[in-house]
Amino acid sequence: MRIATWVFLLFLTLGATASSGGGRVDCAGDYCGTLLILGIGQPTSLLPPVTDQKLDSDIFDQIFLKLADIGPAGSTLGDSGFEPLLAQRWRWADPLTLVFSLDPRARWQDGRPVRARDVAFSFAAYTDSTVVSPYRASLRHIAAVVARDSLTVAFAFRDRYPEMFYDAVYHMRILPEHLLSAVPRSQWTTAAFGRAPVGDGPYRLVAWKEGESLELAADSTFFLGRPHIRRLIWRFATDFSAAVTQLVAGEADALQVLLSPTNVARARAAAQLALYPYSGTVYSYLGYNLRANGDSTRPHPLFGDPDVRRALILATDRAAMAQSVFAGTAKVPPAPIPQAWSWLWLPELTVPPYDTLQASRILERRGWRDTDGDGIRDHNGVRLSFHLMVPVTSGSRRMYARLIQEQLRAIGAEVVIDEVDAGAFSERSRAGTFDTAIQSWSADPSPSSGVAQLWETGGGSNYGHYADPAFDSLVERAVSAPDRAGAIDAWRRAFQTLNQDAPAIVLNAADNVAALHRRVTHVRIRPDAWAALIRTWRIAPDQLIDRDRAER
Amino acid sequence: MATWLLRRLAAALAIVFAVVTLSFIAIHLAPGTPFLPGDERAVDPAVVAALRARFGLDQPLPVQFVRYLGALGHGDLGLSFSQRRPVAQALADAVPNTLLLAGTALAVDLLLGLTLGTYQASRARRRVDAAIRAATLTLYSLPVFWLALVLLLVFGERLHWLPVGGIRDPVLSDSAPFAAHLADRLRHLILPALTLGVVGAAGTARYQRAAMLEALNQEFVRAARAKGLSERRVVWLHALRNALLPAITMVGLALPFLLTGAVLVETVFAWPGMGKLTADAIAARDYPVVTATALLASVLVVTGSALADLLYMAADPRVRAPDA
Repeated sequence: MRIATWVFLLFLTLGATASSGGGRVDCAGDYCGTLLILGIGQPTSLLPPVTDQKLDSDIFDQIFLKLADIGPAGSTLGDSGFEPLLAQRWRWADPLTLVFSLDPRARWQDGRPVRARDVAFSFAAYTDSTVVSPYRASLRHIAAVVARDSLTVAFAFRDRYPEMFYDAVYHMRILPEHLLSAVPRSQWTTAAFGRAPVGDGPYRLVAWKEGESLELAADSTFFLGRPHIRRLIWRFATDFSAAVTQLVAGEADALQVLLSPTNVARARAAAQLALYPYSGTVYSYLGYNLRANGDSTRPHPLFGDPDVRRALILATDRAAMAQSVFAGTAKVPPAPIPQAWSWLWLPELTVPPYDTLQASRILERRGWRDTDGDGIRDHNGVRLSFHLMVPVTSGSRRMYARLIQEQLRAIGAEVVIDEVDAGAFSERSRAGTFDTAIQSWSADPSPSSGVAQLWETGGGSNYGHYADPAFDSLVERAVSAPDRAGAIDAWRRAFQTLNQDAPAIVLNAADNVAALHRRVTHVRIRPDAWAALIRTWRIAPDQLIDRDRAER
Repeated sequence: MATWLLRRLAAALAIVFAVVTLSFIAIHLAPGTPFLPGDERAVDPAVVAALRARFGLDQPLPVQFVRYLGALGHGDLGLSFSQRRPVAQALADAVPNTLLLAGTALAVDLLLGLTLGTYQASRARRRVDAAIRAATLTLYSLPVFWLALVLLLVFGERLHWLPVGGIRDPVLSDSAPFAAHLADRLRHLILPALTLGVVGAAGTARYQRAAMLEALNQEFVRAARAKGLSERRVVWLHALRNALLPAITMVGLALPFLLTGAVLVETVFAWPGMGKLTADAIAARDYPVVTATALLASVLVVTGSALADLLYMAADPRVRAPDA
């Protein structure tokens, strides 16, 4: 008992001493507070062209500005839904030329003005193959970017399509030519600027403690208005579970997504936290390998037959599985479409029903019967048995694998689950050494690039070797449609074709739930970039806690 | 002595070379590839291929290995794929944190383990000895990561007595006066150091008990008792001094245990040391960092073992190098 008392007193003393703090600061008006954000993993670099890691972009989007950004409606078609940032206004000089007028008040954080030359320089850097920018391919429709005068810059496009404006502004953050022109482009991947960036955004980098945290301070002279929260600090956690533990324990203020219903319940039980659901950008599906496992020259003995693929789709109760795994925070989409593409959740696209009777009929018709009475159908000596690969790191996908295994057993199909390390999952997916795999993808705001990459013939991430020229042509038509209505119609027909071909069992499109400390107000979250609007969030002066008052 | 040292050095170099070679080959042959995004986004294979070429991964493995050894010979550990900076910088940030944790854990290990073992031996075959023996055996059998999680959940998440992770409070620590800053660092150190230290102490106590029992049966102890010295003086002054020799070996053996245990404990407590650096690097397939941490760990272990031998020789004149 005596020892326990001493231990308690020691903790109490340490706690009191540690929280005694140092310099204290109160805030002026609406400009106060410190937001402690949890990041999963570590940032790679804060030089925007060289990285598309989500954590990196969450941070560098506070430091660097785009010319304009997606508005609250999330539309990527045309230019009407976009909000100006570095560009004060824009106009179409002709159908292929977009002219931006920069805001003359914009300044780099070293005091130099932001000029049109910086925009042209940024485009040249992003599209220079020596920089190895992941955004380069997204700028392929832009032929040139030319500074017309110090505040006017023109984008010349190669062709006309609905997302010209989106391509011009969304992928590229404008960079300071005067600071980067001397750095050889081949060295940008590891450039020192990536660890000490100078931007033109609402926040500037103050400190980066490797493996621990990264601190940004609000720029009180930011030309679009002073950010309300004085300081942003990212604290790096190893994984989501550790992050949720820190959040619930009150050691952080914000986590972008809680991922599982268990984490949502833990956060909900913490009195200091408020939850913010927002549209998810992730969708998951069981992808069939249409080619033989490890031999892309031959069709898969089971999944080369579209009827078998369709039968297995009908035999899975996708709505029940989504409910079971996500407890109401995920829906079954009518095609591989995340919730963030809400404009593509069209009534004409319907989710295939759960119909085991029809599934059995199809299999019988194709000759799949249980001839040896072992409970598994067979045909010409081949058993209806296959492997399902899932990454061991994904709890939800492992749960899905078990549910699918049970449901398909009921119609005489055997599923052998392969739980593999994340690296092996990615390697085997790319090599085509799998029968089926539960894939999960985080999508861009626009379907244009992602759909082509995942489902078009020869797409870089089309691991199942799905190939249908009709689908490819409809996607191309959707991407290059002259107007919004034409694009939506082409997308609808493309997804109908894909559903008919059945290259995958589409499982879910999950909603995201963010958790933030209740003292944070005016919270607006954009599905594609949850931290994009942080500069408009606030911490009320009468709600400050110790970490808000600590002075650096 | 000089020959012994030279032989020892040659053996150490051979061990370190073998570790570097094995870890280099193992991590390169492990499935998975660097430069893929942490979240699951469709990635342009051309970008991954270009980055692989930029970092020399498009070359055959033997060529990469020879280049690595060449660079290593010049003290260059390469560039981290995931941190985009020299590996030496990443290690320089991480090593002091691990040394702090391992050093504190070793202190807890020795202080607690030697005290418990000595106390047990002085109360041998009594109830208290049996109770401590059962407790230490239980603790020694516990997986380190499990104990870490339990301590974190109880003292961090439930009781809120101690922080659940990190090395310091990212907001308050820097702004605090020295005493508060120190207290903050100590609060963050307690759980990970206790996790590593207590499990180690359980093992040390068992060794120490055996060594003490042997010492207490020696002639010089009987002589001390016959001279009329108090039992406390006999145990804690005379016997303990002679029973400390195995502890020197234990320190040498504790180093690899602390380093390997640190991988799990640092990961659980988000302690930014070598263990966490290694775990993160393996997950990201950051080959240069994985190989460099294996290199550094092997150097530390070999050095620790050699130091333990030297200390043992200094402490016990019977154990000397053949040509000394």
